[in-house]
Amino acid sequence: MDSDKSFMKQDCPEKNECLKKLQAILDGEATPEQRTDFLEHHLEECLPCYKNYHLEVAIRQLLKAKCCQEAPQDLIESIKSKCTEKLSS
Amino acid sequence: MEELPKQQYTDAERQHIFNDEFMPHINAMYNFAYRLTLDGDDAKDLLQDTYLKAYRFLDSFQQGTNAKAWLFRILKNSFINDYRKKSKEPSKVDYQEVESYYNSEEVDRQITPDLRVEALKDMIGDEISNALNALDVDFRTVIILCDLEGFKYEEMAKILDIPIGTVRSRLHRARNLLKEKLSEYAKEMGYKTV
Repeated sequence: MDSDKSFMKQDCPEKNECLKKLQAILDGEATPEQRTDFLEHHLEECLPCYKNYHLEVAIRQLLKAKCCQEAPQDLIESIKSKCTEKLSS
Repeated sequence: MEELPKQQYTDAERQHIFNDEFMPHINAMYNFAYRLTLDGDDAKDLLQDTYLKAYRFLDSFQQGTNAKAWLFRILKNSFINDYRKKSKEPSKVDYQEVESYYNSEEVDRQITPDLRVEALKDMIGDEISNALNALDVDFRTVIILCDLEGFKYEEMAKILDIPIGTVRSRLHRARNLLKEKLSEYAKEMGYKTV
């Protein structure tokens, strides 16, 4: 993916449609053909979509790294005991 | 989900389902509750209510089906019924209106925030979290379900009681809005946007 980018298209007439496709692919909702077609062919030649791809991936990574809070341990214990009380009653 | 025949679980089965199928999702559930309410105490209450409900309606849960999706749906419904109404935030937004506004292609063309990966790499603080929290709750929700929890569109449709096409378009808008927020932060951080 680190090839010379000057040969790539600098503009994509289908940018928005491509972004939708790209998101479906990253969400695991695209067919294998759509994946190959987009990731192995379109991305090789289209700079805006290539950039979008890396941006989408980076945002997802950042979300996962920064937006997952764990439940406080005392809350977990309290829920467990409240429900086990009921389970055994 | 309600239409499914009720199960008659033994106490041992109930214990097993609760401990091995429900409890493992407690951190993800807490995070969802926290991101919906944006308040630690409300999140605790919402999580506890949800687990008590899940226990009470355990016979409606079918073993072998997706426990996480089942739990998330209960939490989402509890939030709408018990928290969204009483919440004091002045979000008297007509969601239908928001939806159709963001569905217009015109807006799509306007919202093409020029955000760069390099700018994201410098967002090592709460930027992304703040950007996510700043989104309208419906948009926030789809990003949480998809990008944080990895639910499929079909599962999200069931959790949210909306058609799959709406899931797809709402996600697309939500991501555009998130990028817009992030590019505002990037600008503040001194990154040039074209």
